[in-house]
Amino acid sequence: MRERMAGVKLEVELCGIQLRTPLIPASGTLAKEALGEVEEVYGAILPKTTTPASRAGNPPPRVAETPAGMVNSIGLQNPGIEGFLRDLGAFDLGVPLFVSAAGDTVEEFGALCERLGADERIAAIELNLSCPNVECGGLTFCATPTAVEDVVAACRRTTSMPLFAKLTFEGVVENALAAEAAGADALTVMNTIPALTVDAHRRSVLVRGGLSGPAIKPVALRAVYDVSRAVRVPVLGSGGVASGWDVAEFMLAGATAVQVGTASFVRDPREILDEFASYLKQAGLAAVDLTGALRENPR
Amino acid sequence: MKFYSVPVEERKESGRYTVLRYRWPGPVEPGQFVMARAVGYPATLDPFLARPFSFYDHDGEWASLLFEVRGRGTALLDAAGKIEVSAALGRGFRIEPSGERAVLLGGGVGIAPLKILGRRLDEIGVPHDVFLGFADGATAVAASDFPGAGVATMDGSVGTHGTVLEAVPDLGSYGTVYACGPNPMLAAVKRAVGEGKLCQLSVEERMGCGNGSCNGCVVPVLGGYVRSCVEGPVFRAEVLAW
Repeated sequence: MRERMAGVKLEVELCGIQLRTPLIPASGTLAKEALGEVEEVYGAILPKTTTPASRAGNPPPRVAETPAGMVNSIGLQNPGIEGFLRDLGAFDLGVPLFVSAAGDTVEEFGALCERLGADERIAAIELNLSCPNVECGGLTFCATPTAVEDVVAACRRTTSMPLFAKLTFEGVVENALAAEAAGADALTVMNTIPALTVDAHRRSVLVRGGLSGPAIKPVALRAVYDVSRAVRVPVLGSGGVASGWDVAEFMLAGATAVQVGTASFVRDPREILDEFASYLKQAGLAAVDLTGALRENPR
Repeated sequence: MKFYSVPVEERKESGRYTVLRYRWPGPVEPGQFVMARAVGYPATLDPFLARPFSFYDHDGEWASLLFEVRGRGTALLDAAGKIEVSAALGRGFRIEPSGERAVLLGGGVGIAPLKILGRRLDEIGVPHDVFLGFADGATAVAASDFPGAGVATMDGSVGTHGTVLEAVPDLGSYGTVYACGPNPMLAAVKRAVGEGKLCQLSVEERMGCGNGSCNGCVVPVLGGYVRSCVEGPVFRAEVLAW
Protein backbone atom coordinates (compact mmCIF):
# COMPACT_ATOMS: atom_id res chain seq x y z
CA MET A 1 0.00 0.00 0.00
CA ARG A 2 2.78 2.38 0.95
CA GLU A 3 4.48 2.02 -2.44
CA ARG A 4 1.27 2.67 -4.28
CA MET A 5 0.65 5.83 -2.27
CA ALA A 6 4.12 7.22 -2.84
CA GLY A 7 3.88 10.48 -4.72
CA VAL A 8 0.07 10.52 -4.65
CA LYS A 9 -1.34 13.75 -3.25
CA LEU A 10 -4.21 12.72 -0.99
CA GLU A 11 -4.60 15.86 1.09
CA VAL A 12 -7.57 18.19 0.82
CA GLU A 13 -8.71 21.32 2.61
CA LEU A 14 -12.12 21.58 4.25
CA CYS A 15 -13.24 24.92 5.74
CA GLY A 16 -9.62 25.89 6.26
CA ILE A 17 -8.80 22.57 7.95
CA GLN A 18 -6.05 20.54 6.34
CA LEU A 19 -6.95 16.86 5.96
CA ARG A 20 -4.20 14.42 5.01
CA THR A 21 -6.77 12.27 3.22
CA PRO A 22 -10.34 13.11 2.17
CA LEU A 23 -11.68 10.11 4.10
CA ILE A 24 -13.58 10.66 7.35
CA PRO A 25 -15.45 8.04 9.36
CA ALA A 26 -19.21 8.62 9.25
CA SER A 27 -20.58 9.41 12.68
CA GLY A 28 -21.59 6.35 14.67
CA THR A 29 -19.49 3.86 12.74
CA LEU A 30 -16.11 4.01 14.48
CA ALA A 31 -15.69 3.08 18.13
CA LYS A 32 -12.61 3.98 20.11
CA GLU A 33 -11.96 0.24 20.42
CA ALA A 34 -11.52 0.08 16.63
CA LEU A 35 -9.19 3.07 16.24
CA GLY A 36 -6.11 0.86 16.07
CA GLU A 37 -7.36 -0.44 12.73
CA VAL A 38 -7.60 2.95 11.06
CA GLU A 39 -4.41 4.81 11.88
CA GLU A 40 -3.22 6.84 8.88
CA VAL A 41 -6.44 6.14 6.97
CA TYR A 42 -8.64 9.06 7.88
CA GLY A 43 -8.07 12.78 7.41
CA ALA A 44 -10.17 13.54 10.48
CA ILE A 45 -11.90 11.54 13.18
CA LEU A 46 -15.64 11.85 13.83
CA PRO A 47 -17.01 9.90 16.80
CA LYS A 48 -20.61 8.93 17.47
CA THR A 49 -23.15 11.70 18.05
CA THR A 50 -23.17 13.31 21.46
CA THR A 51 -26.31 14.68 23.13
CA PRO A 52 -26.75 16.92 26.21
CA ALA A 53 -27.75 14.03 28.51
CA SER A 54 -26.85 10.37 28.27
CA ARG A 55 -29.13 8.16 26.20
CA ALA A 56 -29.66 4.45 26.73
CA GLY A 57 -30.63 3.93 23.10
CA ASN A 58 -33.29 1.66 21.68
CA PRO A 59 -33.99 -1.91 22.81
CA PRO A 60 -32.60 -4.62 20.53
CA PRO A 61 -32.87 -5.74 17.79
CA ARG A 62 -31.12 -2.65 16.51
CA VAL A 63 -29.58 -3.86 13.28
CA ALA A 64 -30.81 -5.96 10.40
CA GLU A 65 -29.04 -6.94 7.24
CA THR A 66 -30.42 -6.16 3.79
CA PRO A 67 -29.00 -6.77 0.33
CA ALA A 68 -25.94 -4.51 0.03
CA GLY A 69 -26.65 -2.76 3.28
CA MET A 70 -28.11 -2.73 6.75
CA VAL A 71 -30.94 -1.06 8.61
CA ASN A 72 -30.16 0.34 12.04
CA SER A 73 -32.11 1.86 14.84
CA ILE A 74 -29.61 2.55 17.61
CA GLY A 75 -31.35 5.52 19.18
CA LEU A 76 -28.25 7.68 19.67
CA GLN A 77 -26.94 5.64 22.59
CA ASN A 78 -24.22 7.80 24.13
CA PRO A 79 -22.91 8.86 27.54
CA GLY A 80 -23.96 12.52 27.16
CA ILE A 81 -21.74 15.55 26.58
CA GLU A 82 -19.90 15.42 29.92
CA GLY A 83 -18.88 11.80 29.58
CA PHE A 84 -18.14 12.32 25.92
CA LEU A 85 -15.71 15.18 26.57
CA ARG A 86 -14.01 13.26 29.40
CA ASP A 87 -13.34 10.42 26.97
CA LEU A 88 -12.47 12.56 23.95
CA GLY A 89 -8.72 12.06 24.33
CA ALA A 90 -9.19 8.44 23.26
CA PHE A 91 -10.00 9.71 19.77
CA ASP A 92 -6.77 11.67 19.35
CA LEU A 93 -5.01 10.10 16.38
CA GLY A 94 -3.09 13.28 15.59
CA VAL A 95 -5.64 14.40 13.00
CA PRO A 96 -8.42 16.99 13.32
CA LEU A 97 -11.32 15.90 15.50
CA PHE A 98 -14.86 16.62 14.36
CA VAL A 99 -17.76 16.14 16.76
CA SER A 100 -21.31 15.15 15.83
CA ALA A 101 -23.93 16.81 18.01
CA ALA A 102 -27.68 16.45 18.42
CA GLY A 103 -30.31 17.93 20.70
CA ASP A 104 -34.05 17.62 21.21
CA THR A 105 -34.62 21.34 20.75
CA VAL A 106 -33.07 24.32 18.97
CA GLU A 107 -31.96 25.59 22.36
CA GLU A 108 -30.20 22.31 23.18
CA PHE A 109 -28.38 22.39 19.86
CA GLY A 110 -27.21 25.93 20.59
CA ALA A 111 -26.02 25.07 24.08
CA LEU A 112 -24.13 22.02 22.81
CA CYS A 113 -22.37 24.06 20.15
CA GLU A 114 -21.40 26.69 22.68
CA ARG A 115 -19.83 23.99 24.84
CA LEU A 116 -18.10 22.16 21.99
CA GLY A 117 -17.02 25.38 20.31
CA ALA A 118 -15.01 26.32 23.40
CA ASP A 119 -13.07 23.04 23.41
CA GLU A 120 -9.72 23.49 21.71
CA ARG A 121 -9.38 19.80 20.91
CA ILE A 122 -12.28 20.05 18.48
CA ALA A 123 -11.84 21.35 14.93
CA ALA A 124 -15.45 21.32 13.71
CA ILE A 125 -18.99 20.37 14.71
CA GLU A 126 -21.33 18.27 12.60
CA LEU A 127 -24.97 18.93 13.39
CA ASN A 128 -26.96 15.71 13.26
CA LEU A 129 -30.24 17.13 11.98
CA SER A 130 -31.89 13.73 11.53
CA CYS A 131 -32.96 13.45 15.14
CA PRO A 132 -36.53 14.25 16.22
CA ASN A 133 -37.35 17.85 17.09
CA VAL A 134 -39.59 17.57 20.15
CA GLU A 135 -40.90 21.09 19.55
CA CYS A 136 -42.23 20.02 16.16
CA GLY A 137 -44.15 16.93 17.15
CA GLY A 138 -41.17 14.65 16.71
CA LEU A 139 -40.48 15.49 13.06
CA THR A 140 -36.76 15.72 12.38
CA PHE A 141 -34.88 18.99 12.19
CA CYS A 142 -34.63 18.24 8.47
CA ALA A 143 -38.42 18.20 8.02
CA THR A 144 -38.54 21.73 6.65
CA PRO A 145 -36.03 24.33 5.45
CA THR A 146 -37.32 26.66 8.18
CA ALA A 147 -36.46 24.11 10.88
CA VAL A 148 -33.00 23.65 9.37
CA GLU A 149 -32.46 27.39 9.23
CA ASP A 150 -33.60 27.89 12.84
CA VAL A 151 -31.30 25.28 14.29
CA VAL A 152 -28.25 26.17 12.22
CA ALA A 153 -28.72 29.86 12.98
CA ALA A 154 -28.98 29.12 16.70
CA CYS A 155 -25.74 27.14 16.59
CA ARG A 156 -24.04 29.80 14.47
CA ARG A 157 -24.76 32.43 17.12
CA THR A 158 -22.88 30.43 19.77
CA THR A 159 -19.63 29.61 18.02
CA SER A 160 -17.26 30.57 15.25
CA MET A 161 -16.07 26.97 14.95
CA PRO A 162 -16.79 25.42 11.53
CA LEU A 163 -20.30 23.93 11.48
CA PHE A 164 -21.34 21.11 9.16
CA ALA A 165 -25.06 20.48 8.73
CA LYS A 166 -25.76 16.79 8.15
CA LEU A 167 -28.86 16.44 5.99
CA THR A 168 -31.25 13.67 5.05
CA PHE A 169 -32.20 12.91 1.46
CA GLU A 170 -35.73 14.30 1.61
CA GLY A 171 -35.73 17.96 0.54
CA VAL A 172 -31.97 17.95 0.52
CA VAL A 173 -31.40 20.87 -1.88
CA GLU A 174 -33.87 23.18 -0.12
CA ASN A 175 -32.46 22.21 3.25
CA ALA A 176 -28.91 22.72 1.99
CA LEU A 177 -29.75 26.23 0.85
CA ALA A 178 -31.40 26.95 4.19
CA ALA A 179 -28.38 25.67 6.13
CA GLU A 180 -26.00 27.69 4.01
CA ALA A 181 -28.08 30.82 4.46
CA ALA A 182 -28.08 30.29 8.22
CA GLY A 183 -24.31 30.13 8.31
CA ALA A 184 -23.32 26.47 7.91
CA ASP A 185 -19.70 26.19 6.76
CA ALA A 186 -20.21 22.83 5.07
CA LEU A 187 -22.92 20.25 4.44
CA THR A 188 -22.78 16.53 5.05
CA VAL A 189 -24.89 14.83 2.41
CA MET A 190 -26.48 12.52 3.42
CA ASN A 191 -27.74 10.45 6.34
CA THR A 192 -29.40 7.01 6.16
CA ILE A 193 -32.69 6.55 4.32
CA PRO A 194 -35.88 5.58 6.24
CA ALA A 195 -36.31 1.84 5.93
CA LEU A 196 -38.04 -1.19 7.42
CA THR A 197 -37.19 -4.85 7.74
CA VAL A 198 -39.83 -7.46 8.50
CA ASP A 199 -39.43 -10.92 9.98
CA ALA A 200 -41.98 -12.93 8.02
CA HIS A 201 -41.35 -16.01 10.14
CA ARG A 202 -42.37 -14.23 13.33
CA ARG A 203 -44.75 -11.88 11.53
CA SER A 204 -43.18 -8.89 13.20
CA VAL A 205 -41.18 -5.78 12.43
CA LEU A 206 -37.50 -6.57 12.79
CA VAL A 207 -35.96 -3.11 12.58
CA ARG A 208 -37.57 0.20 11.65
CA GLY A 209 -34.73 2.61 11.12
CA GLY A 210 -32.26 3.93 8.57
CA LEU A 211 -30.77 2.12 5.58
CA SER A 212 -27.04 2.46 4.96
CA GLY A 213 -24.44 0.69 2.87
CA PRO A 214 -23.80 0.33 -0.87
CA ALA A 215 -27.56 0.03 -1.49
CA ILE A 216 -27.96 3.79 -0.99
CA LYS A 217 -24.87 4.93 -2.89
CA PRO A 218 -26.56 6.11 -6.12
CA VAL A 219 -29.13 8.04 -4.07
CA ALA A 220 -26.38 9.73 -2.07
CA LEU A 221 -24.40 10.52 -5.21
CA ARG A 222 -27.46 12.21 -6.69
CA ALA A 223 -27.89 14.25 -3.51
CA VAL A 224 -24.23 15.30 -3.46
CA TYR A 225 -24.37 16.21 -7.15
CA ASP A 226 -27.54 18.29 -6.81
CA VAL A 227 -26.51 20.02 -3.57
CA SER A 228 -22.99 20.89 -4.67
CA ARG A 229 -24.42 22.64 -7.71
CA ALA A 230 -26.81 24.65 -5.59
CA VAL A 231 -24.52 25.88 -2.81
CA ARG A 232 -21.10 27.50 -2.44
CA VAL A 233 -20.02 25.79 0.76
CA PRO A 234 -18.16 22.48 0.59
CA VAL A 235 -20.01 19.17 0.70
CA LEU A 236 -18.98 16.07 2.64
CA GLY A 237 -20.26 13.08 0.69
CA SER A 238 -21.72 10.21 2.68
CA GLY A 239 -23.85 7.21 1.84
CA GLY A 240 -22.76 3.76 0.76
CA VAL A 241 -19.09 4.51 0.13
CA ALA A 242 -17.43 1.10 0.01
CA SER A 243 -14.41 1.41 -2.27
CA GLY A 244 -11.75 3.82 -3.46
CA TRP A 245 -13.66 4.25 -6.67
CA ASP A 246 -16.73 5.25 -4.69
CA VAL A 247 -14.61 7.94 -3.01
CA ALA A 248 -13.57 9.23 -6.43
CA GLU A 249 -17.17 9.18 -7.66
CA PHE A 250 -18.40 11.22 -4.70
CA MET A 251 -15.64 13.77 -5.18
CA LEU A 252 -16.30 14.02 -8.89
CA ALA A 253 -19.98 14.53 -8.09
CA GLY A 254 -18.98 17.51 -5.98
CA ALA A 255 -17.76 16.35 -2.56
CA THR A 256 -14.67 17.88 -0.96
CA ALA A 257 -14.33 15.04 1.54
CA VAL A 258 -16.02 11.66 1.81
CA GLN A 259 -17.33 9.74 4.80
CA VAL A 260 -16.95 5.98 5.13
CA GLY A 261 -19.44 4.28 7.41
CA THR A 262 -21.12 0.91 7.11
CA ALA A 263 -18.53 -0.40 4.66
CA SER A 264 -15.93 -0.19 7.42
CA PHE A 265 -17.80 -3.06 9.13
CA VAL A 266 -17.15 -5.40 6.23
CA ARG A 267 -13.87 -4.07 4.84
CA ASP A 268 -10.60 -2.73 6.10
CA PRO A 269 -10.85 1.05 5.46
CA ARG A 270 -7.16 0.98 4.55
CA GLU A 271 -8.08 -0.94 1.42
CA ILE A 272 -10.50 1.85 0.47
CA LEU A 273 -7.76 4.47 0.83
CA ASP A 274 -5.38 2.23 -1.07
CA GLU A 275 -7.84 1.90 -3.95
CA PHE A 276 -8.43 5.64 -3.97
CA ALA A 277 -4.68 6.28 -4.12
CA SER A 278 -4.28 3.91 -7.03
CA TYR A 279 -7.17 5.61 -8.83
CA LEU A 280 -5.45 8.97 -8.42
CA LYS A 281 -2.12 7.59 -9.54
CA GLN A 282 -3.63 6.02 -12.62
CA ALA A 283 -5.56 9.20 -13.45
CA GLY A 284 -2.52 11.37 -12.80
CA LEU A 285 -4.55 13.55 -10.45
CA ALA A 286 -4.32 14.88 -6.92
CA ALA A 287 -7.29 14.38 -4.60
CA VAL A 288 -7.88 18.12 -4.51
CA ASP A 289 -8.35 18.13 -8.31
CA LEU A 290 -11.31 15.78 -8.20
CA THR A 291 -14.01 17.85 -6.52
CA GLY A 292 -16.71 18.54 -9.09
CA ALA A 293 -14.35 17.69 -11.94
CA LEU A 294 -16.89 15.85 -14.08
CA ARG A 295 -16.35 16.36 -17.79
CA GLU A 296 -19.13 18.01 -19.74
CA ASN A 297 -19.03 15.67 -22.70
CA PRO A 298 -16.85 12.70 -21.87
CA ARG A 299 -15.68 10.56 -24.72
CA MET B 1 -12.76 -4.39 10.09
CA LYS B 2 -9.79 -6.25 8.74
CA PHE B 3 -10.52 -9.69 7.30
CA TYR B 4 -8.03 -12.41 6.52
CA SER B 5 -8.61 -14.82 3.68
CA VAL B 6 -7.91 -18.39 4.77
CA PRO B 7 -8.48 -21.78 3.12
CA VAL B 8 -10.85 -24.17 4.85
CA GLU B 9 -8.55 -27.03 5.84
CA GLU B 10 -11.32 -29.38 6.89
CA ARG B 11 -15.10 -29.41 6.92
CA LYS B 12 -17.03 -31.95 8.91
CA GLU B 13 -20.57 -32.38 10.05
CA SER B 14 -21.44 -32.79 13.67
CA GLY B 15 -25.12 -33.63 13.85
CA ARG B 16 -26.91 -30.68 12.25
CA TYR B 17 -23.88 -28.47 12.72
CA THR B 18 -20.89 -27.78 10.53
CA VAL B 19 -17.34 -27.54 11.84
CA LEU B 20 -14.83 -25.63 9.71
CA ARG B 21 -11.15 -25.80 10.51
CA TYR B 22 -8.58 -23.26 9.36
CA ARG B 23 -5.05 -22.29 10.21
CA TRP B 24 -4.95 -19.52 12.80
CA PRO B 25 -1.76 -19.14 14.82
CA GLY B 26 -2.95 -15.91 16.42
CA PRO B 27 -3.92 -15.71 20.09
CA VAL B 28 -7.41 -16.93 21.03
CA GLU B 29 -9.10 -16.93 24.43
CA PRO B 30 -12.01 -19.27 25.15
CA GLY B 31 -15.26 -17.37 24.63
CA GLN B 32 -13.82 -15.03 22.03
CA PHE B 33 -15.42 -14.93 18.60
CA VAL B 34 -14.65 -14.07 14.98
CA MET B 35 -16.60 -12.34 12.26
CA ALA B 36 -16.61 -14.73 9.31
CA ARG B 37 -18.06 -15.07 5.83
CA ALA B 38 -17.46 -16.87 2.58
CA VAL B 39 -14.84 -15.18 0.40
CA GLY B 40 -16.43 -12.76 -1.98
CA TYR B 41 -16.69 -9.15 -0.89
CA PRO B 42 -17.17 -6.84 -2.73
CA ALA B 43 -18.55 -9.03 -5.49
CA THR B 44 -21.03 -10.53 -3.04
CA LEU B 45 -23.07 -7.73 -1.56
CA ASP B 46 -25.84 -10.03 -0.39
CA PRO B 47 -25.45 -11.14 2.29
CA PHE B 48 -23.67 -7.97 3.22
CA LEU B 49 -22.47 -8.50 6.78
CA ALA B 50 -20.14 -11.11 8.18
CA ARG B 51 -21.45 -13.40 10.93
CA PRO B 52 -20.16 -13.74 14.48
CA PHE B 53 -19.07 -17.22 15.62
CA SER B 54 -17.48 -18.33 18.86
CA PHE B 55 -14.27 -20.24 18.50
CA TYR B 56 -15.11 -23.92 18.81
CA ASP B 57 -11.54 -24.98 19.28
CA HIS B 58 -8.01 -23.62 18.97
CA ASP B 59 -4.80 -25.47 19.67
CA GLY B 60 -2.44 -22.58 19.02
CA GLU B 61 -2.12 -23.45 15.34
CA TRP B 62 -5.55 -24.49 14.09
CA ALA B 63 -8.88 -22.90 14.81
CA SER B 64 -12.35 -24.26 14.20
CA LEU B 65 -15.83 -22.80 14.15
CA LEU B 66 -19.05 -24.70 14.81
CA PHE B 67 -22.26 -23.32 13.38
CA GLU B 68 -25.71 -24.20 12.12
CA VAL B 69 -26.81 -23.29 8.63
CA ARG B 70 -29.70 -20.92 9.28
CA GLY B 71 -29.71 -18.62 6.27
CA ARG B 72 -27.79 -17.67 3.17
CA GLY B 73 -24.77 -16.31 5.02
CA THR B 74 -24.17 -19.56 6.86
CA ALA B 75 -25.12 -21.63 3.78
CA LEU B 76 -22.41 -19.88 1.76
CA LEU B 77 -19.93 -20.28 4.59
CA ASP B 78 -20.79 -23.97 4.80
CA ALA B 79 -20.00 -24.44 1.10
CA ALA B 80 -16.90 -22.25 0.99
CA GLY B 81 -13.44 -23.55 0.22
CA LYS B 82 -12.00 -20.28 1.40
CA ILE B 83 -13.36 -18.02 4.09
CA GLU B 84 -12.66 -14.55 5.39
CA VAL B 85 -12.22 -14.19 9.13
CA SER B 86 -11.37 -11.41 11.53
CA ALA B 87 -8.88 -11.81 14.33
CA ALA B 88 -10.20 -13.01 17.70
CA LEU B 89 -12.70 -10.48 19.09
CA GLY B 90 -14.43 -9.69 22.35
CA ARG B 91 -13.91 -10.63 25.97
CA GLY B 92 -13.90 -14.32 26.65
CA PHE B 93 -14.36 -16.37 29.80
CA ARG B 94 -12.36 -15.37 32.82
CA ILE B 95 -10.61 -18.48 33.96
CA GLU B 96 -9.46 -18.84 37.51
CA PRO B 97 -7.44 -21.84 38.58
CA SER B 98 -9.36 -22.61 41.74
CA GLY B 99 -9.58 -25.97 43.44
CA GLU B 100 -13.32 -26.04 43.00
CA ARG B 101 -15.04 -28.03 40.31
CA ALA B 102 -16.48 -26.09 37.37
CA VAL B 103 -19.54 -26.86 35.29
CA LEU B 104 -19.95 -26.01 31.60
CA LEU B 105 -23.49 -25.70 30.27
CA GLY B 106 -24.24 -25.47 26.56
CA GLY B 107 -27.50 -25.14 24.66
CA GLY B 108 -27.79 -25.93 20.94
CA VAL B 109 -25.21 -24.19 18.83
CA GLY B 110 -24.13 -22.50 22.06
CA ILE B 111 -22.05 -25.57 22.84
CA ALA B 112 -19.37 -24.04 20.57
CA PRO B 113 -17.16 -22.15 23.05
CA LEU B 114 -17.29 -24.99 25.60
CA LYS B 115 -14.91 -27.12 23.55
CA ILE B 116 -12.04 -24.62 23.70
CA LEU B 117 -12.97 -23.70 27.26
CA GLY B 118 -12.77 -27.35 28.33
CA ARG B 119 -9.41 -27.66 26.64
CA ARG B 120 -8.10 -24.64 28.53
CA LEU B 121 -9.46 -25.84 31.87
CA ASP B 122 -7.75 -29.20 31.28
CA GLU B 123 -4.48 -27.41 30.57
CA ILE B 124 -4.50 -25.58 33.87
CA GLY B 125 -5.91 -28.51 35.80
CA VAL B 126 -9.38 -27.25 36.70
CA PRO B 127 -11.71 -30.23 37.13
CA HIS B 128 -14.99 -29.76 35.30
CA ASP B 129 -18.14 -31.43 34.02
CA VAL B 130 -19.94 -30.64 30.78
CA PHE B 131 -23.68 -30.74 30.19
CA LEU B 132 -25.20 -30.08 26.78
CA GLY B 133 -28.82 -29.47 25.85
CA PHE B 134 -30.34 -29.91 22.40
CA ALA B 135 -33.73 -29.76 20.74
CA ASP B 136 -33.63 -33.34 19.52
CA GLY B 137 -31.53 -36.39 18.82
CA ALA B 138 -30.32 -35.14 15.44
CA THR B 139 -28.64 -32.10 16.96
CA ALA B 140 -27.48 -34.03 20.03
CA VAL B 141 -25.07 -35.97 17.78
CA ALA B 142 -22.73 -33.00 18.29
CA ALA B 143 -22.25 -34.13 21.91
CA SER B 144 -20.06 -36.98 20.66
CA ASP B 145 -17.26 -34.43 20.40
CA PHE B 146 -17.48 -33.89 24.18
CA PRO B 147 -16.49 -37.19 25.79
CA GLY B 148 -18.20 -37.73 29.12
CA ALA B 149 -20.67 -34.88 28.71
CA GLY B 150 -24.18 -35.19 30.11
CA VAL B 151 -26.87 -34.68 27.49
CA ALA B 152 -30.45 -33.47 27.58
CA THR B 153 -32.93 -33.19 24.72
CA MET B 154 -36.20 -31.33 24.68
CA ASP B 155 -37.93 -34.20 22.85
CA GLY B 156 -36.44 -36.78 25.18
CA SER B 157 -34.90 -38.84 22.38
CA VAL B 158 -31.41 -38.76 23.90
CA GLY B 159 -30.32 -38.38 27.52
CA THR B 160 -32.38 -36.48 30.03
CA HIS B 161 -35.81 -35.36 28.84
CA GLY B 162 -35.84 -31.56 29.25
CA THR B 163 -33.46 -28.65 29.41
CA VAL B 164 -29.75 -28.78 30.06
CA LEU B 165 -30.33 -27.63 33.63
CA GLU B 166 -32.43 -30.72 34.24
CA ALA B 167 -29.45 -32.90 33.28
CA VAL B 168 -27.27 -31.45 36.06
CA PRO B 169 -27.65 -33.57 39.21
CA ASP B 170 -26.37 -30.99 41.70
CA LEU B 171 -25.73 -27.51 40.36
CA GLY B 172 -24.96 -26.24 43.84
CA SER B 173 -21.91 -28.50 44.10
CA TYR B 174 -19.93 -26.52 41.54
CA GLY B 175 -17.76 -23.54 42.40
CA THR B 176 -17.86 -21.94 38.96
CA VAL B 177 -20.48 -21.96 36.20
CA TYR B 178 -19.83 -21.27 32.51
CA ALA B 179 -22.74 -21.22 30.08
CA CYS B 180 -23.48 -20.45 26.46
CA GLY B 181 -26.76 -20.85 24.63
CA PRO B 182 -29.94 -19.02 23.70
CA ASN B 183 -30.60 -16.03 25.97
CA PRO B 184 -33.67 -17.60 27.67
CA MET B 185 -31.47 -20.55 28.65
CA LEU B 186 -28.82 -18.21 30.04
CA ALA B 187 -31.45 -16.34 32.04
CA ALA B 188 -32.61 -19.68 33.46
CA VAL B 189 -29.02 -20.60 34.35
CA LYS B 190 -28.60 -17.27 36.11
CA ARG B 191 -31.77 -17.88 38.16
CA ALA B 192 -30.80 -21.46 38.98
CA VAL B 193 -27.26 -20.58 40.07
CA GLY B 194 -28.35 -17.70 42.28
CA GLU B 195 -25.99 -15.18 43.82
CA GLY B 196 -22.55 -15.47 45.33
CA LYS B 197 -21.03 -17.76 42.74
CA LEU B 198 -18.87 -16.97 39.71
CA CYS B 199 -21.29 -17.52 36.84
CA GLN B 200 -20.25 -16.43 33.37
CA LEU B 201 -22.66 -16.32 30.45
CA SER B 202 -21.75 -16.02 26.77
CA VAL B 203 -24.62 -14.23 25.04
CA GLU B 204 -25.83 -14.51 21.48
CA GLU B 205 -26.87 -11.28 19.78
CA ARG B 206 -27.49 -10.02 16.27
CA MET B 207 -24.30 -8.22 15.31
CA GLY B 208 -23.33 -5.59 12.74
CA CYS B 209 -19.64 -4.82 12.97
CA GLY B 210 -18.06 -6.93 15.71
CA ASN B 211 -15.67 -4.22 16.93
CA GLY B 212 -17.90 -1.95 18.99
CA SER B 213 -18.59 0.60 16.29
CA CYS B 214 -22.23 0.11 15.37
CA ASN B 215 -23.78 -0.36 18.83
CA GLY B 216 -26.11 -2.94 17.33
CA CYS B 217 -25.48 -6.03 19.48
CA VAL B 218 -26.41 -4.63 22.86
CA VAL B 219 -27.62 -6.51 25.92
CA PRO B 220 -29.48 -4.93 28.85
CA VAL B 221 -27.52 -4.22 32.02
CA LEU B 222 -28.37 -2.18 35.06
CA GLY B 223 -28.77 1.41 33.81
CA GLY B 224 -28.76 0.79 30.08
CA TYR B 225 -27.23 -1.30 27.35
CA VAL B 226 -23.71 -2.52 26.64
CA ARG B 227 -22.26 -3.97 23.46
CA SER B 228 -21.87 -7.74 23.46
CA CYS B 229 -19.02 -7.55 20.94
CA VAL B 230 -16.56 -5.54 23.07
CA GLU B 231 -17.91 -5.59 26.63
CA GLY B 232 -18.85 -9.25 26.01
CA PRO B 233 -19.81 -11.68 24.60
CA VAL B 234 -19.05 -13.24 28.00
CA PHE B 235 -20.62 -11.44 30.96
CA ARG B 236 -20.77 -12.17 34.64
CA ALA B 237 -24.36 -13.20 35.27
CA GLU B 238 -25.01 -10.49 37.85
CA VAL B 239 -24.19 -7.77 35.30
CA LEU B 240 -27.00 -8.75 32.93
CA ALA B 241 -30.44 -7.26 33.57
CA TRP B 242 -32.32 -10.47 32.79
